[in-house]
Amino acid sequence: MAFALDLLQGKVKIDDCTPLLVPKYKKQYDTLKELLGGEEGKKKELRIDVDEDLCDGCGICVTVCPVNARYCPPTLSGKAPDYPPESHQLFQVKGGKCELLNLKHCRRLEAEGRERECRVCETYCPRKAVTIEYQ
Amino acid sequence: MKRVPCSGCSLLCDDIIVRSDGLFIDEVIGACLKGKERFDQLTSNNRILSPLIKKNGVIEKCSWEEALEKAIEIIKNSSKPLLYGFSNTTCEAQLKGIELAKAIDGFIDSNASICQGKVLEVAKTTGITLTTVAELINKADLIVLWGANAAESIPRLLNKILFSRGKFRMTGREIRTLIIIDPVKTASFNVMGVRDLALQIQPNKDLELIRVLKEECCVAGSITSEGVAGLDKDDLKRLLLHLSETENGVIITGQGLLRPQSGANIIEELLELIQMVNTKQEKGRISLIMMGGHFNMAGFDQVALSLYGKNGGLQFKNHQLSDNDENIDSKIYNEDFDCSIIVGTDPISHLPRSLSQKLAKKPIIVVDNKNSATTYIADIVLPSAITGIEVAGTAYRLDQIPIELKTILKAPNNIPSDEEILVKIIDKINQS
Repeated sequence: MAFALDLLQGKVKIDDCTPLLVPKYKKQYDTLKELLGGEEGKKKELRIDVDEDLCDGCGICVTVCPVNARYCPPTLSGKAPDYPPESHQLFQVKGGKCELLNLKHCRRLEAEGRERECRVCETYCPRKAVTIEYQ
Repeated sequence: MKRVPCSGCSLLCDDIIVRSDGLFIDEVIGACLKGKERFDQLTSNNRILSPLIKKNGVIEKCSWEEALEKAIEIIKNSSKPLLYGFSNTTCEAQLKGIELAKAIDGFIDSNASICQGKVLEVAKTTGITLTTVAELINKADLIVLWGANAAESIPRLLNKILFSRGKFRMTGREIRTLIIIDPVKTASFNVMGVRDLALQIQPNKDLELIRVLKEECCVAGSITSEGVAGLDKDDLKRLLLHLSETENGVIITGQGLLRPQSGANIIEELLELIQMVNTKQEKGRISLIMMGGHFNMAGFDQVALSLYGKNGGLQFKNHQLSDNDENIDSKIYNEDFDCSIIVGTDPISHLPRSLSQKLAKKPIIVVDNKNSATTYIADIVLPSAITGIEVAGTAYRLDQIPIELKTILKAPNNIPSDEEILVKIIDKINQS
């Protein structure tokens, strides 16, 4: 998973994964090449966008985010985190809309070597207001 | 900065952080869009800040004395006053509303009688298993949304009961199964995971589904029915398995389940199904939560039940409660009223046109804090302070738990609360 994340961020190339160079995985190798196209190896930044027009401030992203759960105990019981926000807190709901506070602590980027392809905020948003992408 | 309860909807979230300088609210943290709108009403252009009176067909500002005098005159000239609303105010004001109805021999009903009050009415004969939001946060493992679009009606409900981790569970969303039974694919379907069950049934077939579930309840292992309401045998089997094996399940009913179908009372059938499942259950139970809209819809039911053992449609004659089976619909439909006192609601917008036209024919006195279709056609409008922000008091959450609302700011122009306005009217009626 760490390799996949690095590949998406452009930190490594497909050829860096030696098992993929074995002839029996040629199909997978070609598929990956096709998916990444000319973007392979280009450094990309993670972006989490919250569409303010769609968001209704339900706070599911705040509760479901594993980083928020770890650093903001009220979110464990579905409550709004304390204010001012904790330095690791990723999301908060302010003025009826979700706000992204601090992307650098996202589990995709920083998890003490256990970075994950985490998409819970995007997956469970009932209004489809949260999108995760690399640009 | 403090945590206060929000009066935006019937969930009454008590974790909203408000930053205020004592004059204005600077920031609202944790509230959803509905809650934020409630706080925005303080400074909204739509707010009513002085009494209004209709003169020569035009509504204009007037003094409190003039407005109250005219209101008393309308009430005194009426022999069959109708009091309606009371779901957006405190229980204390609801108590005074019933007191006023008793003093003027009127008919009083709340928004709950055309919403979740119907469930309590049936529950008086069948019994009901209720639960609380806190219990769901800590223990729930099955959540059934039946005719309820929680994601859009009460935005933070799913956040609290589906995604929270709770005290007695290691994980949150992962061990909770969500079942949605709805003919429409609502936004609530978007939070479904792989283990969840999305049952898009045919419209108006809920009753058939409940009846089949009741029949098959005893034989979940060998389902005889080939399918019902657009669901196949596998869906039915999975649904029954979840219902019969949950440890702490809840069925959340919305407006979609309240209409009578095929002439039968669907609520009665649902409550019987829940009882049946709970009787057979050995390790757990299923409870019911009624998803009301207005923030104190459950309050009027509680107040009226505790006073008269009846949760709505109270008709007073000779200052005594008289027997009747009427509700707000039949009263307006039969035009069995000659003036109406509307507190904190907008029936002209909410009721069907056939009823709102009849309501509009008779004099209307409105107690509310914002302009609405009803205030535009009212004879008298008495502005009130915003409950939960400018007025403290008690309100009942959707799980029938009382929550104490707090005062955050003072009302502008010394605007009285709903309760104070009703007390003034009662005093003037008693004096004359």
